[in-house]
Amino acid sequence: MSDPVVVDRVTKRFAGHTAVDSLSLSVPSGVIYGLLGPNGAGKTTTIRMIMDIYEPDEGAVRLFNDVAGGRTHSARIGYLPEERGLYPKMRVVDVLTFLAETKGVARRAARAKALEWLDRLGLADWRLRKVSDLSKGMQQKVQFISAVLHDPELVVLDEPFSALDPVNRQVLLETVIEYRRRGKTVLFSTHIMEHAEQLCDRLCIIARGKKLVDGSLADVKRQRGGKHVVIEFDGSQGGAPQIFADRRLVARTQDFGQRAELELAEGADAQEILRALVTSGARLARFELASPSLHKIFVDLVGPEAATAVASAAHA
Amino acid sequence: MHKVWAVIRREFVERVRTKWFWVSAILGPVLFAGIIVFQIAQSVGGGVRHIAVVDTGTVGYGRRVVEALGASKSIRADAVSHSPHVLDSLTQLVEAKQINGFLIVGDSLPSDGKAEYRASNLSMQTVEELQRTLNRVVEKARLEGRGVNPVVVDWAQALRVNIDQKKCQRGACTAESAGQTFIVAYLIAILLFMAILLYGVNVMSSVLEEKTTRIVEVLVSSLRPFQLMLGKVLGAGAVSFFQFLIWGVSARVLIAMRGPIAHAFGADAAMAQDINLPHIPFGTLAVFMAFFLGGFLLYSAMFAAVGAMSSNEQEARQAQQPVTYLLMISYLSIIGLTNEPNSTFAKTLSIVPFTSPIATPVRWSGGSLGMGELALSLAMLAIAIVGVTWVAARIYRVGILMTGKRPTVKELVRWVRTA
Repeated sequence: MSDPVVVDRVTKRFAGHTAVDSLSLSVPSGVIYGLLGPNGAGKTTTIRMIMDIYEPDEGAVRLFNDVAGGRTHSARIGYLPEERGLYPKMRVVDVLTFLAETKGVARRAARAKALEWLDRLGLADWRLRKVSDLSKGMQQKVQFISAVLHDPELVVLDEPFSALDPVNRQVLLETVIEYRRRGKTVLFSTHIMEHAEQLCDRLCIIARGKKLVDGSLADVKRQRGGKHVVIEFDGSQGGAPQIFADRRLVARTQDFGQRAELELAEGADAQEILRALVTSGARLARFELASPSLHKIFVDLVGPEAATAVASAAHA
Repeated sequence: MHKVWAVIRREFVERVRTKWFWVSAILGPVLFAGIIVFQIAQSVGGGVRHIAVVDTGTVGYGRRVVEALGASKSIRADAVSHSPHVLDSLTQLVEAKQINGFLIVGDSLPSDGKAEYRASNLSMQTVEELQRTLNRVVEKARLEGRGVNPVVVDWAQALRVNIDQKKCQRGACTAESAGQTFIVAYLIAILLFMAILLYGVNVMSSVLEEKTTRIVEVLVSSLRPFQLMLGKVLGAGAVSFFQFLIWGVSARVLIAMRGPIAHAFGADAAMAQDINLPHIPFGTLAVFMAFFLGGFLLYSAMFAAVGAMSSNEQEARQAQQPVTYLLMISYLSIIGLTNEPNSTFAKTLSIVPFTSPIATPVRWSGGSLGMGELALSLAMLAIAIVGVTWVAARIYRVGILMTGKRPTVKELVRWVRTA
């Protein structure tokens, strides 16, 4: 079976700038695929082209090995756009029924499914309330339901976890993972690498409309590898900053204060760093030889200026 | 089609569920009933006027006038003898609303035909009736003066001619007065104007709601923008048909029951039954509905485009003005259309598609429109609907996903070209 989503050298320009620049990617069946990039990288534009909302200026998108476009296959695709919205004056169950109907589900079946999902995500008591009576988090869940209600083979989620509290985020994460378990394909975008690291089987990192790297999570880590050390302090850092600055030992550092990630210099020995830290009076809670975190890879790739923006967003 | 149907159904159900729909559905007939009750009250209770008849002479024409008015249903007259200050005191009575007015006649009445009526409110009906009565009194006096037997005069005057008014159009004649013709035309114009505007603006705000809530992005991922627009326009159109249906049925019921209703208000039921309501033939109704449908499709496509190019209520209100003015032209021309329905101006209005939805039914109801002109008007409207919808759909398609400032005319042209 061919890949459900194939993006072939697509370019999209808006007045004055190129949002997506000759981007190619393909999402295999049955995986969770992460489209990663800093704000303004072209993630949403790419997704909108996949969803047939924008037409690419160049290149083509093939869904289920067909160039007909997302709208033709809308019964097989679920979509959660970045900019969320529901009819505020409609009742929750009516909105869900209507949206499923626009995907070709029969009215009666749509209603039954809607009630089932509302029950599953703890919104059963709200089914007859107006959307505007719901909290933001509840509305997000309703919108998520609208994306999966018709049991699509492919779910496209644009920044699904933004603005969700930790409890609801967990519910959503589990639902997405459960989706893959049933053999469905999930394509989602995020600029928060922790989410990507937890979920993705495969990923593609883009910046300024161009692809920087893609492949399976393990491959990307291996390629971008190098020897990494994760350090967590227990109070005092001692002379750590001086050691981190020693280019004979450490090639690159990300120092978060109580936690740091190091990339070892060519030929350097991790044990030497450990010894130096202990001698300098640093109290260590963790010292681990590791493959780099996705966050680290991401920051290395997209460059320092985008990285600051992303780091602050990730920890916000 | 299943998808368009879902959009139509949503649009219909959500609108009919609002309280505004039911407020106007109920208020319409209530207003209609109010007009009927008011008319009945006018023709029954409010009609009787008390007047005084002052005779400044000695021959006794005043007395004769009072006698002649004795048979009147709407005027009750009392003779007042003339004295120096009687006119002043009668004027005071008029001001105090004790009497409606007073009539002054003198001995010269049969020779110069002059009389005077003073009242606080000069109603056409009263003056006409006084005139008729005075004419008879004068006629009788003059004939008697030439030696004709009063009994013969009475016999001659006993018969009155009643002109049966018929309006002839398209080979059928119906009882309808000039006033009624205008009222029907006016009613048609105001109903069409209000309905097209109201439901057109409904389409606009519905488009705008989807745009501002951003739900439109989900919708266009499964529906073509044209399907969405079509569903919206048809849904809002169905709501307006439903509204008209409620009004039509309740109007029929109210008219049929006007006797009992009048009775309930303490008026004469038999008289209420006699009120001559303008007859609206089926043809007029069909033309009305056809042009309402056409006008609605034409204008709601434009309103949909306006909604799509605006990003908030305020912008939309501004952007809808040109469209509203376009519709208003024919509404404001109603006097010209009814007075001179065959002028070049009127003919032009019923050919131009933006004015024909109101102008053509108005001219049709006046009987001054042939089948040929009707067909031409409909054809032009149909062509315009296709053309305008094509342009509007392109603006709509680009506009619904745009945010930020309102596009300039130049940008709109580009949208239409590239969409």
